[in-house]
Amino acid sequence: MSEDEATEETEATDATRRSLEDWGRASYVPATRTQDGDRYLRVTRGMVLTPLRLVGWLALFVLFVAIPDIASLSPGIQQRVLHQGVLFGLAAVGLNVLLRHTKLVSFGHAAFFGTGAYTAAVLATHFDVTSMVLLLAAATLLGTLMAGVIGFLSLRHTGLYFSLLTLAFGQLLYAIANGQSVLGGSDGLSVRPGEANRATLFGAEFGADVYSVVVYYLTVLVVVVALFVMWRIVNSPFGKALDAIGQDRTRAQFIGIPVRKYVLAAFVLSGVYGGVAGGMYGLVQQHVRPESTLYFLRSGEILFMAILGGFGTLVGPLVGGVVLVFLQDVGRDFTSYFDALTGVVLILLVFGFPRGIVGSLQSGSGLRQRASAFVDDPTVVGDWVENAVVATTAALARAKQNLWILVFGVR
Amino acid sequence: MLEARNLRKSFGKLVATDDVDVEFGREPGEMVFIVGPNGAGKTTLVNLLTGLLEPDDGSVVLRRTDDDGEETTVDITDMAPEDRVKAGVVRSFQVVHVFEEMTVRENMRTAVLAEQDLLGSAFSFSDEHEGVEAIVDDLLERFRLDDQQHVVADKLPHGDRKLLDVAMSFGLDPDVLLLDEPTSGVSAQETDYVMETIVNVSKAEGVTTVAIEHDMDIVSTHADRVIALHQGSVLGEGGPSILETDDELRRVLLGVSG
Repeated sequence: MSEDEATEETEATDATRRSLEDWGRASYVPATRTQDGDRYLRVTRGMVLTPLRLVGWLALFVLFVAIPDIASLSPGIQQRVLHQGVLFGLAAVGLNVLLRHTKLVSFGHAAFFGTGAYTAAVLATHFDVTSMVLLLAAATLLGTLMAGVIGFLSLRHTGLYFSLLTLAFGQLLYAIANGQSVLGGSDGLSVRPGEANRATLFGAEFGADVYSVVVYYLTVLVVVVALFVMWRIVNSPFGKALDAIGQDRTRAQFIGIPVRKYVLAAFVLSGVYGGVAGGMYGLVQQHVRPESTLYFLRSGEILFMAILGGFGTLVGPLVGGVVLVFLQDVGRDFTSYFDALTGVVLILLVFGFPRGIVGSLQSGSGLRQRASAFVDDPTVVGDWVENAVVATTAALARAKQNLWILVFGVR
Repeated sequence: MLEARNLRKSFGKLVATDDVDVEFGREPGEMVFIVGPNGAGKTTLVNLLTGLLEPDDGSVVLRRTDDDGEETTVDITDMAPEDRVKAGVVRSFQVVHVFEEMTVRENMRTAVLAEQDLLGSAFSFSDEHEGVEAIVDDLLERFRLDDQQHVVADKLPHGDRKLLDVAMSFGLDPDVLLLDEPTSGVSAQETDYVMETIVNVSKAEGVTTVAIEHDMDIVSTHADRVIALHQGSVLGEGGPSILETDDELRRVLLGVSG
């Protein structure tokens, strides 16, 4: 996709860059080659795929569609867990509009997720709404409105104060959900009371097994549409305006962009994704609790998902969501310190793979450079090991020296 | 024509601009240089004109003569900076402000899309607007940035970054362009080239260009008019020859007595 393309443009030779740019404008060409002779497929304007990238995308899509089947293979993998991961990941895709483009860090994104989830629960429980489509639409609408209100109030500030305000508003909603008996207090609220009484799709009712599969494929549909829309937006002039604001706010204002209006629009857009993901979550879990939807740790996790998957990419946050939720679930089976596992993953990520999972797989990343070096000449591993040994020895020597100075002082 | 009428701004006890009354763009494509020692209020004046600062007193007025010879006057004193840009008052800063992670071409494209009021469009591709691409091509060529159009802005040499900054400003189709030290930080070899490019394009487009400048050689080579500021007030105004003839001005600017 185009964000891969952008990274590649900085790395590739001049000739390659030029020809990629030209195709962006040429009329439809099914398959062609760059001047370097590499084969490319131009799917549409703004989407140029190499064979490797095409295979990667297809594999990812097949995996995504086949999650219910994969889950049925092993009792260790639960569809419900992966499904949750997809939904939190979808919220992270929304958050990424702010993180990647306007470069704002929101610590309160669970607010929109929670608003969506609670909207579905309240409508189902108190107003007997059964239609999935209606519940989802209402969840999205309320999540969006909430983003409008919180965004309007938070975006008076930038940087740290913006982050703190989003955190504060998120916790405010958490406190309200926790305290209001009409919202079920800390026990939460069922999306349809009773197992036998599930939401319907176009009037059709489903048994428990079928229901979970139907909701999953509804999620697949929503996610595919959501990603497509996001892809169009980030490659549109509006997406560039958000990039401009993120990269140089002053300059953005002085090319005539009404900065605050645009940032608010981006914030609301991210709220749409939070709201729809939250609404789906309500349909999947059929029970909504403040702890799991609105608490500030959720906001932190959504942020973490975006970074883990690669916040410089479009689908990274989604992958990050699935991986993180799955890791937490598996970790829970192994140790009661499963939260420490999250910490270890985060540390490894920041030191080893700052571009996240998807970002590291893209061309130009350190991982890819090493991989291609290895393919060219496998003996290069020897050099890496040697370098690592030298670096470790040097670090140990320094540590010994420092320790010596700490204990005995400088002579 | 951009006019400052009795513009006054103080920061605490320091009076940065003291009843400054100047106008820019007496004829199309006029090249005006603002000179003066450090702290004379040059940047403050530009900030007041472009909306980065609010004046304590006085007003900023934009006067236009349309094709029928009819004159319209717009008071832009209370206008937000982004609206002034739309009204034709564009500026650059002493420090280069470009979008560092975008390529040269993307930078230009963003500016031109802004000028064409297309940045709000969320469902077109940013590079599919043929008219915009044509303007981008033209500007890149004029500023001789076309060879580097796919280079990311923060990898450019400083002189080219400065040029890109100015080129983007021209992409906004200004009536009046205010440049805060367009040659600052540019190497001696690049200075002439940068300045000549700016002058050539402004003359060709009929854009009134106002530049703050410390290098008196540049000023006397390119100026149609010079405005000298000192301690917040206009000390002298006229053709570049005043740099030679006005003794007080020479004393303040160059420390030359007599």
